Amino acid sequence: MQTTFKSSKWLPYLLLSPSVIIVFIFFIIPSAESLFYSFFRLNITGTRKIFVGFGNFIRLFQDPEYIESLFRSFMFTVIVVVVGLSVSLGIAMIANNKMKFFNVYRTLLIWPYALSPAITGMIWALMFNPTIGVISNILHNLFGVSFNFINNSSHAMIFIIVAAVWKMLGYNIIFFLSGLQGVPAELIEAAIIDGANPWKRFRHIILPLISPTTFFLLVMNTLYAFFQQFGLLHVVTEGGPGRATDLLVYKLYRDGFISMNTGYASAQSIILLIIVAAITLFQFKSAKKSVFYGT
Amino acid sequence: MKKLLLILVILLVVAGVAFAAGQKEKEESYLLPDDVKAQGTVTFWHAMSGSKTAIVDGYAEEFMKRHPEITIDAVYSGSYAETVTKGLAAIKAGKPPVLLMSYEVGTQTMIDSGAIIPVHTLNKGEINFDDVTGPIAKYYSVNGKLNSMPFNSSTAMLYYNKDLFKAAGLDPDKPPTTFDEVYEYSKKIMDAGLSSGGISFGWPAWIFEQMHAYHNEFYANNENGRSGKRASEVMFNGKLGVQVLTEWQKWAKDGVLAYGGRTYKANDPFIAGEFAMLVQSTSSLAGIIKSADFEVGTAFLPHLPGYEKGNSVIGGASIWLLKGHSNEVNAAAWKFLQYLFEEENAVAWHKGTGYFPVNSKAYGILMNEGWFDKEPRFRTAFDQILGGSDSKAASGVLLGNFVEIRDIMGAAIEDAVVNMKDPKTVLDEAKVRCDRVLSDYISTVE
Repeated sequence: MQTTFKSSKWLPYLLLSPSVIIVFIFFIIPSAESLFYSFFRLNITGTRKIFVGFGNFIRLFQDPEYIESLFRSFMFTVIVVVVGLSVSLGIAMIANNKMKFFNVYRTLLIWPYALSPAITGMIWALMFNPTIGVISNILHNLFGVSFNFINNSSHAMIFIIVAAVWKMLGYNIIFFLSGLQGVPAELIEAAIIDGANPWKRFRHIILPLISPTTFFLLVMNTLYAFFQQFGLLHVVTEGGPGRATDLLVYKLYRDGFISMNTGYASAQSIILLIIVAAITLFQFKSAKKSVFYGT
Repeated sequence: MKKLLLILVILLVVAGVAFAAGQKEKEESYLLPDDVKAQGTVTFWHAMSGSKTAIVDGYAEEFMKRHPEITIDAVYSGSYAETVTKGLAAIKAGKPPVLLMSYEVGTQTMIDSGAIIPVHTLNKGEINFDDVTGPIAKYYSVNGKLNSMPFNSSTAMLYYNKDLFKAAGLDPDKPPTTFDEVYEYSKKIMDAGLSSGGISFGWPAWIFEQMHAYHNEFYANNENGRSGKRASEVMFNGKLGVQVLTEWQKWAKDGVLAYGGRTYKANDPFIAGEFAMLVQSTSSLAGIIKSADFEVGTAFLPHLPGYEKGNSVIGGASIWLLKGHSNEVNAAAWKFLQYLFEEENAVAWHKGTGYFPVNSKAYGILMNEGWFDKEPRFRTAFDQILGGSDSKAASGVLLGNFVEIRDIMGAAIEDAVVNMKDPKTVLDEAKVRCDRVLSDYISTVE
């Protein structure tokens, strides 16, 4: 029997409604609230509001602390993305070789991703604890380096970069592995016969063929590096020493939830929203040129 | 794409306006009737971690045994800053806890929040406020009245490692009393290869405030915000502030100061013997004595010559009663506060932690027991605070949004002792920031 399906004008909307409602509750309304608050100065319990127009935004861009934090965040993001993607591609290439216990390795490699950022922070903070940390002791005894992320600004920055890269490693490796496995073996064989050396094979065959994966990871890692460092920072450095590891997300948290400047923090969140939109848009635009989706 | 963006922007604006229209101001008046029955569940958010949580839970259990009709739901809510933050968020959301612990820097903010019931309005003679330990009452009273119930009060003092002192040929019973001596003793210990550093601090921004009170200098105008007018300007970039920070920087450059973070992180390396001295809250005393495998000495804070004698300030936290609950629950909460204030509990709290007993009658009990003869280190803080002056500068500063000012100062001090920026510049810049915090704050409450 054939089922007839009477098309209704409203049915598509009905079917869409659950996700629209969720987007409304968790995205549109909070964003609207932020937008609203970004034009006000509020007292600490939010019962009094003073309209300041664009005052919060103007103040933000006059605040050297904010500008520094902005640059710091971009620098951090670039380093984390470049280092993270390179290292994980390298590991993925090694893991892509045919070897015993391949599945075991693959499972082990994704473990870091299963940890919450705060737990990652705790683990790394313990390992690098200047007094009792295993790694800081090894560094000290073998290389004479006293690594101290509590009272050395550059050490603190290196520390959070390493921890942030490590956290995302598993995720990147898994995607790169699947990308690498999609590269046809006969192409590589043909290249070998033609006398292409390993670097040329990598540069001209593998890299273009995994470019969709790389592009996807580029977007994910950028967003990760820019927006998901709160847990790590909160547990390990709290933005310090001084403001050495004060990334935008942490500054927002400090201003919004420690200093309770709801209006000022809302203005920051609006700018953050614009930045993420801009980055994503830019990446999609530039991707058209360099990403190869096959024919 | 452009259309989509436009729609999004329109949606945001519409929702924003709708949200604005839904906002209303709420005001409540408060009165506790005479014949009210104390019962119900009292939620109590506090910031007492580790072994202190167990002590607080113990109080709650004991109290519930006495008053089965009341349930005390004591919840550890994270650090001081986190507890205050969560409390304020809960107030905003209209679901405040009944009792909220706030550290000393939250005092002015809580008073201005409009969300609290001042405890002095509850008192019908159950507690004689004259029994509250003098300096503590002074710190938490605004215009002579207690708005919150002091619970865990401490001050800062100097801890030192007597074993390291002995090994370096120093007299372990003669701790340093001045900044110069701190430097000199540290150098001696370090030169002997006994430790890698000399001294560290817990809560450096608080120690910086302490230094002002201790040398009888105002930290902010309007008599530290206690003249009846709110403080509108900080004054820490004066001669004393610059001198203190310059000294600290010198120590840091020479490796004497081993900077140890903004809260309690310096305790572990002190216990591990990495440096010989630690300026920290007295509330760490019991913990440090327990964990250290060397003989711990305690002493007054070191001072700089050429200033008047002030006093060390009270730190720690007090408990606030929040609006928005039934009279029965408020009465129950008030009963619990009375219970916490009882002498025996104040005595147990002091012994278990190192905090001051908030009830001055507890001193009599401790004296009669011979506690201070047995544990002279628990006495140091008392001697320090009772031996100081009680001038206005020495009774501690009240600032609006002090939480943010603490944070600004935490970063400023790190800029001086870690990033080695010029102390005067650092303080001048911090003053600009802090003054703006104060003027913003005043604009929203007045």
